[in-house]
Amino acid sequence: MPGTTAVPDIEIVVEDIGGGGGGPTPPPGGGDDGDGGGDDRNRRRKWSPSPKRYSTAITIGIVSILMFFMALASAFIVLRRGSDLWVTVHLPRILWANTGVLLASSFTLESARRRLFLADASGFHKFWLMTTALGFLFVAGQLVAWRQLVAQGVYIASNQASSFFYIFTGAHAVHLLGGVGALLFVGFRKFEKTNISLPAAAEITSYYWHFMDGLWIFLLALLYLGK
Amino acid sequence: MPRSAAGFSRPPAASKTGMSTDDSNANQPETLKNGFVSRYVFSSDHKTIGLNYLWLALFSVFLAMAMSLLMRIHLAWPGLHLPFLSNLGNAPDRFAALTTLHGSLMVFLVLTAAPQAGFGNYFLPLQIGAREMAFPTLNLLAFWLTVASLFGLTTTFFLSPQPAITLWIVSVAIFCAASLLNALNFSVTTIDLRAQGMTLPRLPLTVWAWFINAILGALIFSILLAACVCLLSDRLLSTHFFPLLNFVANQRSGVIPNAVPVLWQRLFWFFALAEVYVAMLPCFGLTTHLISTFSRKPVWKERLVVLALCGVGVFGFCVWGQHMFSSGMNPFSPLVFSLLASSLGIPATILVVSWFGTLWNARVQLNTAMLFALGFVSLFLSGGLSGIFLARHDLAAAAAVSDDFVTGHFHLVMGVAATFAILGALFFWFPKLFGRRLNEPFGKLHFWLTFAGVYCAFMPMHWLGLIAHARVLPSNVAPSVVAAGSSIHTFITVAILLTVFAQGLFLINFLWSLFRGEKVAEYNPWCATTLEWSVSSPPPADDFGVTVPVVYRGAYEFSVPEAAEDFVPQHLAPEQVVKARKSGE
Repeated sequence: MPGTTAVPDIEIVVEDIGGGGGGPTPPPGGGDDGDGGGDDRNRRRKWSPSPKRYSTAITIGIVSILMFFMALASAFIVLRRGSDLWVTVHLPRILWANTGVLLASSFTLESARRRLFLADASGFHKFWLMTTALGFLFVAGQLVAWRQLVAQGVYIASNQASSFFYIFTGAHAVHLLGGVGALLFVGFRKFEKTNISLPAAAEITSYYWHFMDGLWIFLLALLYLGK
Repeated sequence: MPRSAAGFSRPPAASKTGMSTDDSNANQPETLKNGFVSRYVFSSDHKTIGLNYLWLALFSVFLAMAMSLLMRIHLAWPGLHLPFLSNLGNAPDRFAALTTLHGSLMVFLVLTAAPQAGFGNYFLPLQIGAREMAFPTLNLLAFWLTVASLFGLTTTFFLSPQPAITLWIVSVAIFCAASLLNALNFSVTTIDLRAQGMTLPRLPLTVWAWFINAILGALIFSILLAACVCLLSDRLLSTHFFPLLNFVANQRSGVIPNAVPVLWQRLFWFFALAEVYVAMLPCFGLTTHLISTFSRKPVWKERLVVLALCGVGVFGFCVWGQHMFSSGMNPFSPLVFSLLASSLGIPATILVVSWFGTLWNARVQLNTAMLFALGFVSLFLSGGLSGIFLARHDLAAAAAVSDDFVTGHFHLVMGVAATFAILGALFFWFPKLFGRRLNEPFGKLHFWLTFAGVYCAFMPMHWLGLIAHARVLPSNVAPSVVAAGSSIHTFITVAILLTVFAQGLFLINFLWSLFRGEKVAEYNPWCATTLEWSVSSPPPADDFGVTVPVVYRGAYEFSVPEAAEDFVPQHLAPEQVVKARKSGE
């Protein structure tokens, strides 16, 4: 198939003087003139994608997810303001407990990172797994809230308010489960053979988790004030 | 044309250089995997994925073009028995399905996928000196989601309307997910994977355009995804996000026949108007790059062009209300959106002035790639001028009487102009992609036929719009003008036939050149400056081999007075420039 070629042999290059990220121009003398000059050695380095890419990715991902929820939130506000027949959904009380669970999970996450900073591996794993468990507990609590609403006869198709309740909580839970997946990944992954360190992975996961936390507070406020 | 400089005369040994080992999957070329499937279907190599996107776009563009041909023949000669229009159910439904599918394929799979995901995936890492995209596995996932989306979209044509609409929405949602992954990958790659010395001012404008486009895509595809979720929920779960009756009850009588829930309009246009710029931004970058390279001059006011590209992104994100002037929105909103939409003229003018400034007194090389770039400028100007009418809320409301004016406008400025940029890029990068050249005389014939064809097709469409407007006004319009409408329809259809015929020539040229075209021995046949021309054609699987490139200068150093040749590649060290000059003397 035209368009790509295969490299027949592999040369292992062990020299690594860093790189990536668009730093300033190196001092002259690193040219590759094709004549086999001695300076060519300077240009031979291991290419390694910058580990910063994970934190950049999570930042852009958070902005993107925020836009998704802002679209839903603006739809909620537009329909709420434009409707004379808005039927209120009484928020199940367990939502407040769930919120407490999620806030507690952010606290335990930071405690885990603190233990990691202090090189307390067992303390880190304890708090990290606690955070993961609280994440599962939150999702389970949201399911209970759904069941309570169903028991009251409030379904997703009952009215606009209930539609928004289920969509908001469902979409948030799906995104939060992604965070739980990241918690599990960091909690059980061996980081010796990756080019991201455990503290960096924990930090990136914490950005996402705290964002999920804040997002839930926002959605809950919207649903509560939208009554 | 001067021959390649010292910086590109690397011996063939470079192509068989090894690769460095790395401990992450992001850096593993798939050269050792044998077998077609693992090398070309499930490869996470950015070049393979980029090429696969281009194949996908090529398939989609010809499919969508065949659909447009059927539509035009049906409009010009309604009595004619046509396949797919008459056989599958009743004709109006088929015609609507054909229109939807033509638009969906062209907008999503061609205009969005080809310039960004296709060329971008292939050349972004090469141009910034990276060996891979930031997240190769996500890249592969995005590609296969795009394939799934294409499959879903095309399947809708063979289903009855209700399931077809549901499947269409699912397919669009899948495409949104793929585009979001792409946007993430492009942004991170540009921010974090640039080679040493590749500072922001030294980025090629193609990279700037891909980067800004990725940021814009990350913002707007989320909106469309949210809208699709709500729409699907309405269809499958009987929710009430877009209640049609509420909307109709609140509207003036004149707009009820075209009623679409206004909330859906808001969400859709928030995406769709910015989507125009998602399709155009990479094309601005490609065109500027081609014009500079083949004018043998630096980009005129390069930093201003970067600002203009940013301006297109920002304004493009804010003009979503422009298509809702007649939707019963707040009376002050049209004024705001008119101002915002008109403000887009500022970056657009900067871009056009920069193109002409670059061309001024230049030794222009009029090859096919450059012709297409100039064709892009011409179409962008022509289509952009009619856009001024649509940006004004009073005139747009008048033009909205007929869709033909809008159809003519956006086909010229978005569809065809972007296609010209894509074709220009293909002629430019074909030697790098396949190690062969496209046939130039054939290419020029293809260009002139297409150029004439699209002008003959889409300029009269503006007239059709004005005639349709004249019909509903109580003015004394000559009956002959009104009667000219059907003749214009026939004329447009003939022009489309000519254009499609010209694309047949292109396809022949493409396929012939792929296997029998003139082989390109040198790395840099166009004497260009960016990093992708410093490697063999096609590039090795590990792109730069063991030598990670270092960048010493900007991307458009043409006609440098002290240099031995009329260009200085980005990776050429200052002492090498001196050495090359001395050896030339």
